[in-house]
Amino acid sequence: MKSLFINLVCSILLVTMGASCTEKDTPVVEKTLFLRNKGADMPIWVRGNVASNKMVLFMHGGPGDCAMCYRYYLKGLEKNVAVAYWDQRIAGSSSGKVDPKTLNYEQLGEDAYYAVKLLKEQFPQTQIYLLAHSYGVELAWQFLTTNSNQQLVSGLMIVNGTFSNYRWLFQVREWVLREAKRQQKADIEQYAQTHTITPETLKGFDWQTMYRKMLDLGGNPLSLYSNKKFVLNYVFSSPNTPLAQFTHGSAYQSYFDTEMLNFDKSASLKSINIPVGLFWGTKDGVVPVEVGYETRDLLVNAPKTLVTFEQSWHEPFVSETDKFVREVIRFVNP
Amino acid sequence: MKATILTTTLLLISTLLVHGQQIRAAYYGETITHYGLKVSYERPIYSYMKASNSIRKEFLFVPGLAIYRHPANHIGVIISPELAYRRTGKRGGQFEVAISPGYFRYFLEGSTFEAGQDGKFRQVPMAGGNAFLPTISVGWGNDMSVRHQIPLSWYTRLNLMQQRPYNATALMRFGIECGIIFPIKKS
Repeated sequence: MKSLFINLVCSILLVTMGASCTEKDTPVVEKTLFLRNKGADMPIWVRGNVASNKMVLFMHGGPGDCAMCYRYYLKGLEKNVAVAYWDQRIAGSSSGKVDPKTLNYEQLGEDAYYAVKLLKEQFPQTQIYLLAHSYGVELAWQFLTTNSNQQLVSGLMIVNGTFSNYRWLFQVREWVLREAKRQQKADIEQYAQTHTITPETLKGFDWQTMYRKMLDLGGNPLSLYSNKKFVLNYVFSSPNTPLAQFTHGSAYQSYFDTEMLNFDKSASLKSINIPVGLFWGTKDGVVPVEVGYETRDLLVNAPKTLVTFEQSWHEPFVSETDKFVREVIRFVNP
Repeated sequence: MKATILTTTLLLISTLLVHGQQIRAAYYGETITHYGLKVSYERPIYSYMKASNSIRKEFLFVPGLAIYRHPANHIGVIISPELAYRRTGKRGGQFEVAISPGYFRYFLEGSTFEAGQDGKFRQVPMAGGNAFLPTISVGWGNDMSVRHQIPLSWYTRLNLMQQRPYNATALMRFGIECGIIFPIKKS
């Protein structure tokens, strides 16, 4: 009985010590910050291993999408690095009283600057890596090509996003032409053939119809909402503001009509000299992989790697989560 | 000014002397899981009962206060002066609808920083916002005094709210209440 008691006490001590060691080795953080700027209160949720001194700042897409909602898929990163989930203005769970006129690249670039600066102040020893998806990639380029902002971060990972909305629409049309031919959809093929796009016709180009035809051809069939566990987590047990997603769209009309089509950073990409990882779902019709190839070729002064996800469309972190997490960790810890 | 305060006080005292007042205490769940509490005071404005079938119909004034927490997002405070209609059946079953203009104050749950002109961050104490929160509610319950002589009702109801302003437009919210109603003055 006595030896049993001693064994039990020793076991408890060992388990406790083991647990404390584990906690000490990988201290995790759960810190919620809000960045207030020009009417918007933007949450930045920091989660994960801060002791790594490496932080991935997730710049979500959309516009108007959310960052924290994708934690469901990106959580695997948090054992190795800290992850900062930032909801942009009029997006995700951001709140406040915001003028829709502030939905322009210059303002969002400024928000990104303050988000990075705030994280650097709060976590002074930490290197920050940007992980930008879709529309978030445009923000990342806006941020990095402004002043000397690229010195604030240690690297950029771009996921199915563009540097120029002219080149984006050009490649979407090419994708539609290819797929319509392959799937023998003569009406769509004819539509794409008769609706060419050049820098001169860009302003009057009916991109929304072309975009719908791309979706009709299966350019991004994956629906996040078909995953019930994701939806339940999103609505009931996460810091996300449910239903907010459905309110943001109307604020972006002016952005879609004018601001978006003017975005072109082709000439500025040569100034980038930080490491860039290009992660691309190759089946994507939303931002075809050819945009990734063009981006790679324009980054003449940056160390760059291209990682393709052959089973993925627009969100490789959803369809090939494990591989995606591995590749991000490999980029951050080369 | 003194006269206004005196009139208001007398008005409040006179309402307290009116019969049929009740208190509601409930679990308040914004989006069901964002947990909180709601306390309301209930006072009939007009009520009548049909002698033939014992069905009671009431119009009520129900001012209430709800506080809830959405972890890592915000803490919400809702002040809701409701106007409600309630029907109590002969077996005690209750059905209720209510409308309320509402006042919503939320406090962001996290440290809030604002960038100043000099580029330095300033921490904002008690950061959050104010909003108008018009609400419609529908609920069910049972008055246990009717069949079991227990002076208590239970109720549950769904609140649909619209937060205005929210960013550039408005935000729909929903919440549930599950609680009890107990009398403080017999009718």
